This record gives sequence, C-alpha cells and structure tokens, in this order.
Amino acid sequence: MNPAVSAGGRRGLWVSFWLLSIFLYAPIVILIVFSFNDRELVSFPWQGFTVRWYREFVSNPTLVDALKVSMVVALLAAVLTTLLAIPASIALVRRRFFAKPLVSGMLLAPLVIPLVVFGTALLILFNLISVVPFGPFTVAIGHVVISVPFAILTMVPRLERIPIALEEAARDLGASLWTTFRTITLPLLAPAVLSAFLISFTISFDEVVVVSFIAGDTTTFPLYLYSQLRLPRSLPQVIAVAVVVLVASVTVIAASEIGRRISDRKLEGDTAVFDDDEEVVVA
Amino acid sequence: MSEVGISIHGVRKSFGSVEAVRDISLDIHEGEFITLLGPSGCGKTTTMRMIAGFEEPDAGTILLRGESVLGIPPNKREVNMCFQHYALFPHMNVAKNIAYGLKLKKVPKDERDRRVKEMLTIVRLEGYEERKPGQLSGGQQQRIALARALVNRPAALLLDEPLGALDVKLRKQMQLELKRIQHELGTTFVYVTHDQEEALSMSDRIAVMNNGVIEQLGPPRTIYEQPESPFVADFVGVLNAIEFRIHQIDGPDAVMKVGEGERLVVPLAGTGASVGGSLLVAVRPERVWLRVGAEPADAHHASRLGGTIGQMVYLGTLTQFHVDTALGRRIIVHELSDGAMSGAHEGDAVTLSWPRDDAAILHDDQG
Amino acid sequence: MATDAVAVPRREKGRRRRSGGGAPVTLGLLSGPLVWLIVFFVVPVILIGLYSVGAVTLLRNDYFLSLTPWKQFLTSSTYTGLFWKSFRMSLGVSITSVVLAYPVAYLLALVAGKRKYTLLLVIIAPFLTSYLLRVLAWRVILGEQGVVNSFLQTAGVIGQPLEWLFYSNFAIYAVLAYVWVPFVALPIFVTLESLDLHLLEASADLGASRWRTFWTVTFPLSVPGVIAAFIFVFIPTLGEYITPTLVGGPGGYMFGSAIQSAMTTGLDWQFGSAMAMFLVAAVGILIAVFGRYLNVQAVTE
Repeated sequence: MNPAVSAGGRRGLWVSFWLLSIFLYAPIVILIVFSFNDRELVSFPWQGFTVRWYREFVSNPTLVDALKVSMVVALLAAVLTTLLAIPASIALVRRRFFAKPLVSGMLLAPLVIPLVVFGTALLILFNLISVVPFGPFTVAIGHVVISVPFAILTMVPRLERIPIALEEAARDLGASLWTTFRTITLPLLAPAVLSAFLISFTISFDEVVVVSFIAGDTTTFPLYLYSQLRLPRSLPQVIAVAVVVLVASVTVIAASEIGRRISDRKLEGDTAVFDDDEEVVVA
Repeated sequence: MSEVGISIHGVRKSFGSVEAVRDISLDIHEGEFITLLGPSGCGKTTTMRMIAGFEEPDAGTILLRGESVLGIPPNKREVNMCFQHYALFPHMNVAKNIAYGLKLKKVPKDERDRRVKEMLTIVRLEGYEERKPGQLSGGQQQRIALARALVNRPAALLLDEPLGALDVKLRKQMQLELKRIQHELGTTFVYVTHDQEEALSMSDRIAVMNNGVIEQLGPPRTIYEQPESPFVADFVGVLNAIEFRIHQIDGPDAVMKVGEGERLVVPLAGTGASVGGSLLVAVRPERVWLRVGAEPADAHHASRLGGTIGQMVYLGTLTQFHVDTALGRRIIVHELSDGAMSGAHEGDAVTLSWPRDDAAILHDDQG
Repeated sequence: MATDAVAVPRREKGRRRRSGGGAPVTLGLLSGPLVWLIVFFVVPVILIGLYSVGAVTLLRNDYFLSLTPWKQFLTSSTYTGLFWKSFRMSLGVSITSVVLAYPVAYLLALVAGKRKYTLLLVIIAPFLTSYLLRVLAWRVILGEQGVVNSFLQTAGVIGQPLEWLFYSNFAIYAVLAYVWVPFVALPIFVTLESLDLHLLEASADLGASRWRTFWTVTFPLSVPGVIAAFIFVFIPTLGEYITPTLVGGPGGYMFGSAIQSAMTTGLDWQFGSAMAMFLVAAVGILIAVFGRYLNVQAVTE
C-alpha cells in the first residue's frame, strides 16, 4: 500500500503526466512535421511532402551568416565559461574562505536577473568603455556571464562526488596541486566539464534578449529568427533550420546527460566505500 | 636505543572551538610498528594527518629523521599514507596506481615497471597490473593501496584504519599480512585504529589516546596488564574496576573486608595510602577464579568474594560470567567454556578468588 | 564510557577536509571568475543605477545629476501601469506553471519508482531546447493561419479563425507556461524526492486518508521547493517581452518591451535606466524576502 497515492490517484497522475508530455512535445513535433509541408505559410492544408526548405536555406546568405555568427559566439562563450567555471567550482567545493555565501551568491546571481536588465547594463558598459566593438565579442562576454552559473551547477555535484581522499592520496605520493588537478581531478571531472560546455553552448546559441541590445550590426541566428517571426519572409526555411538545430541540440544534450549519468554511477561504484568518512576529520 | 624516526613534541591542534589534539609528545623509533589507539574523537587521525602534512599543528614540533617538517606540504614529505578507504585512482589500472609516485619522482620506465612488479609480489598480487580498482575486492584494494605507498620507500608508512572496511576473517588475515610485510621491508609503520585487539596483536608499541592526549605508551603486554589509568584499563580489554576501601594495612598490602570470609587484597606498591582511604582497584576477568560453592579455587588466593551467577554469556572459546556480589556491583569473570565451570547455571552460588599480584591500583587523573 | 564510532555525526560543521596550499591558491582560483563577474555583471548593473540619476551620461540630451528620469517614470501611470501589468503576468504564469508541474513532479518523485530519472529527463528536455523555437511552434499552432485554426476551418468546424487563440492574453499565458513548466518541475521534484517516506507511512498508520496525508504532511513539507520554483519563474518573467510581443499582439506590450525600446530605438537611456533599476529593486526585494528558499540544493540535481 503506497501512502502517497491511491490506485485511482495513480491513474489520474499518470494521465496528467502523459497529457503534459504531449503538451510539451506536440508543438515541437508539429513544427517538425510542418517543416516538410510544401507551402509558404506554415499551416494547413497539407500541400505535399518536401525537403526543399532544408535545401533552400543553404542559399540564403543572411540566414547562413547568422548561423555562422551564432556558432562562433557560442563556441567562444562555451570555452570561456568552462575555463572560468572550473576554478570557481573547485573553490566552492574544496576550499574554505571568507564570505563564502556572498561569493557563491555572486557567482550564481546571473541566474535570477531579468535579461532586459542585463542587456541594458552591458549596453551602457560597452558604450562607456569601448574596448571591444559591438559584435560577436560583446555578445560572447554577456553570454559567459549568463552561462557561468549553469556551468558551476553542473560541475559542483560531480566534484562533490569525487572523494577528496583521492586528491590527498595523489599529494601524499608527491603530486603538486596542479599535477593533482591535471592527473586526478580533471579526468574524473571530465563528463561534467563536457556537460557544462554543451549547456553553455546551447544557452548562447539560443539567446536573443541580450543579443538584441549589444550585437551592433551583426545578427545571430536567434535574432534572425526573431525578426522573421515578426515580419516573415522566409519563414519555412528558418523553420527548417530551427528544426535541424532542435534535433541536434536535443540529441546532443540527451546523449551527454545519459553519458554523464552513466559515468556518475560508475564513479559511485568505484568509490562506493567512501560514503561515511568524507566529512569527519577527527577520529 | 633504536634511532628516532619521527619525533613529535608538544603538538596541539584545534578546529574552531574543538581541541582535537591537546598535547602530544611521542618518539617513534625507526622500523617499529606503533599504533595510535583510541575511540573516535581522541585525536589519533588528526595526529596522523599532521605527520602526513594534511594539517598543520597550532603549536609544537614534528621532526622526521631529525629535520622539522612543519610548513612542508604533504607532497614533499617522505612519508606515505595508506587511506582508510584505499583511495585508489578509479581511472587508472593497478600498475599506474602503484607507479604514480614513482612517475612523479621521474623514475625511468624500466625501473618503474620492475619496482611495481616487485611490490605486487610482496603483497602477493602478481600479475594484477592491468586490472582496474573497480574489479578488485576490498582486501585486494587494500593491498594495492599498501603497494602504492610502499613502492616509494618512504621513511614511514601511515595507516589510517586500513582494515576497517573488511570483514572479520579477512581483517585477521590482513593483520598477519601487514605484520609480515612490515618485517620484510623494515619500514616504520604508524597505525591508527580504534580496535584494541588489532592494536594488541600487531604493534611493537601502543599509544593509547583519549581526548587529545596520550594516556599511556608502551608494549602491548604492558598496556594490557598494567594499565595506568581507568580509561586505558577500560578501553583495552574488559576490566573490573572495584571501589576499594582501605580497612587495614597489612605490610605491603591494603586490605578491604567485605564480609564473613570475604576480603580483597591489593599491593600498595609504594602508594602513600592510609587506613580509611579509598582506591580504585582493577582486576582482569581472566585472572578471576570461579568455583561453584563456598570454597575458593585455591586456598592461597589472597582475595576472595562470594556471589551468585547473574548472567552467563557464551563467547565461543570463553564464557563470560556476570556475578552479583556483596560489593554491590557485578564482577565479570572469563572462564574457558569447557573448563571447570561448564556445568554452571545462572543463580548458582559461587566463590570468586584471585592471587594478590593480579590486582592493581588504577591511577586516575588526580592519582 | 568510551565514545564509540557509531555516535559520531556524519557531518561535523567546520571539519570538512580542504585541499592544501592556503589562501593564495583560493585567490588564484577565484580571481578569474570573480573579476569577470564583477566587471561584466556587478559593475554594469551599478552603472544602470548611476546612469538613471545622471551620474554617468552618454547621450546629448541626458540630464546631469538629476532625478528627473525617475520622476518621469514614477509619475507616469502608463509606465508604472506597465510594471504592474508585467507583475500580474508573471504572477499568473508562475502560478500556472507551478500548478501544472506539481502533479507531475509528485508522480515522478513518489510514485514512479525506478524510471523516475528517465521520465524526469523527458519532462526537462524541452527546456534545454531553443526558447524561440518553442514560441515559434506555438505561433505556428495558434496563429490565425496556424495549425489549429486552419485545421478547424478545413474540417469545417468553424467559419472564421478563433481570435482569442492568438494575439491575446490567453496565448501569452499558454506559451509562457509551456516554456516554464519543465524548468519548474525540477526543484519541486528534488524537494519531494527528499521527503522521508516514513512520514507518509506514519500518517497513514495513524488513520489519515491519502488526500489528508497530502495536505497535512506532504504539501507543507514541499513548500520550500514550491516557493523556490515559483521565484525562479517569477523573477525572469517580470522582464519578459519576447513572447508577449510575438504572441500577445498589441496587448503584449510589457515593462520589458518598454525598457528595450527605450534603450534601443527610443534612445531615452535615462528613462530606460530608471525603469531597469526599478526592476532590479523589485527583484532585490523579492530575493530579500524569499532568498532563503533559493539554496543551491533546490536547483542542483
């Protein structure tokens, strides 16, 4: 007898689950389906199956340029984010320091700031100190700020699961702090680093609000998509690209998540004995 | 006197408001197997971590072969540690694990391989080079961890409760293995445990710790048979601690009259005690003789006491008798299970007795 | 007498083992991320505040050291009204999302058993895909010439396209709830999952029906997770304008839209800054009030 739910309740909850799943995925499925519709307008009636939108978008220079810019920005942002988030995560998990709640609050604060505010802030900043021209670099800088909290939140749990005894053993055997990081921590952290990279990439690739403030003359794909949505000219092509991006991102994220879970379980298995002793120093 | 390997003097360590180590001074001899024994929270692991370099003492000195190691990070100290849960690197195979320290010292590959092989032979796991830690059993992981530490030929090996995670039978086997390896290599072993049987069976000397200080230091036999404080006596082995009233001084002994034909005798051993004073007297359960009836096991036994068997606990080789006496407390007696007392039952009237020399005065902090 | 290993608590505060090297290492680790965030996050936000009072000026028409932009904003019923409009929208979206996500989180945490993490991933995965795409999908579905309308028309059910489906408040709420439900499910799931099932069993043992157990035991204990989820939706949605613009029609002009247009097309930066700062203040108040629910555990898996 499950005290949390009755038989009828169970059925009801499962129904609500499946309804919600349909609600969540149907629009995406519909989008994919209609991307094959041979019609300038994305709607009924169905006018025949075609893949022409998928072919045509390649010869749309604005669209292709926007895609290229987005790729570059996302790559740059993801690399920088990961490079910043790794030391931050290590500091949060392995180091003891003054005003830790304040520091971790600051590192995670971008999670809760409305993007309009952040866009405004960067617009003012970059006009004040025009070190970097408006364009891919300014956008990447902004995206790094937004992504760092997510990257940290991905790496911290993994780092916590790596027993500190492993690092101490390495040091005991003669490794410096850097060598310990390089040979022990980083290899074991790798799945989370990859996840963080992919999440940052996705966030940057998809971001439109901050971009609209500080992109200057350059257009990213989401920005292009946004303009198309307001004044559609080549909507079906854009949708075709969007579908490609969607399928790619879902596949990549799903694969990385599954991979990460598998490696987490493996890590737990390999270090299973470590459960109790971790936190107690005095014995 | 063998040379001193590790010298600890006046060491103190606090964590916030908690004093983990209050005042420890200890000279560890080169090549000895010494155990830090005590309950959780006594400071033994902290002391070990200070030797290894993972904690720095607040006060005091630590010398390794005559040189101070204070302020030197763990990777530069010539001691190696065997961690409680082995801490084998899961992403490396056995050979790479063991060779880790050698590689850092830039030992050339051929010699590395040779020494790894040599070490695997010593811990009796030849041929295990390619295995991953996840494929090994607890006992095997234990031995690899040992090999990984010892292959570097450290000045001393620190072992932090290494056998805690193993089941009893394996633990006993490993105890013998550890002793054998230590003898073979001659390395100084500093062992930390809360298991007093383990300490007694393996050590050359034991430092019994409590509340951040060393209560007693000495060979196992001395610790067991001549505990110097109530804590040591109680922690190491089972003990009867009797509140002894001095009714009479009879030459070198103090005498307490308990009842008709019942008296307890304890050697004063130079303690300045007088009639009317009180003492704490200890006698080990296996030193107490038990006989059904009113007669003691041996008429020459100086102390004798009457009682009834309150409870019998079968422990395999031994049977433990909890006997109610006129002292108002139970005396615990250990007898061989198939010995003279095998026909005894709870409620039987018995006589306890023991020779004069088997009782000792316990000195507490004030004593 | 002897303190035994069993009695020692597993976590002893302040005794956690740290890696060595001392303060310089910590400083080295934190310097990169902190400097970046201070320069590109903290400072710019402060700049907004300074800009709004004329301490910093960049445009020709800017007032120097004056509270005029603030006065203009606070006395304008249009713009303050916009803020409250966005506030109401946020409230509605947050409540809807939480209400929709709760049963699913409940199911996964307490009923689903072994498959719960996989199913959770199924629910969360849409959130990891493109936001714009999902809005686009709804536009395609709800639009005048969109899937629903054209389907209903082709099938002959209706003659004219349904107007309330699109360019309406309904559309805004539906789409935003759609966007946020996957995200909201996670903190609620985490909270419910960490519930001690024995509490529920005890309640049942004492005679409570499942419904009663839920209201008196489960729900109150899940409130911290619910509040955390609520805040995580509410705050960003206060400034939300993309979806309202795309599916809300003329009625979809939000506080965020006003800020965006002031800063990019309207070029009244001081006014825009004042509005942005006002939003920061509102967010600050919300965090001050509800901050304790936002501990990291609520979001980390």
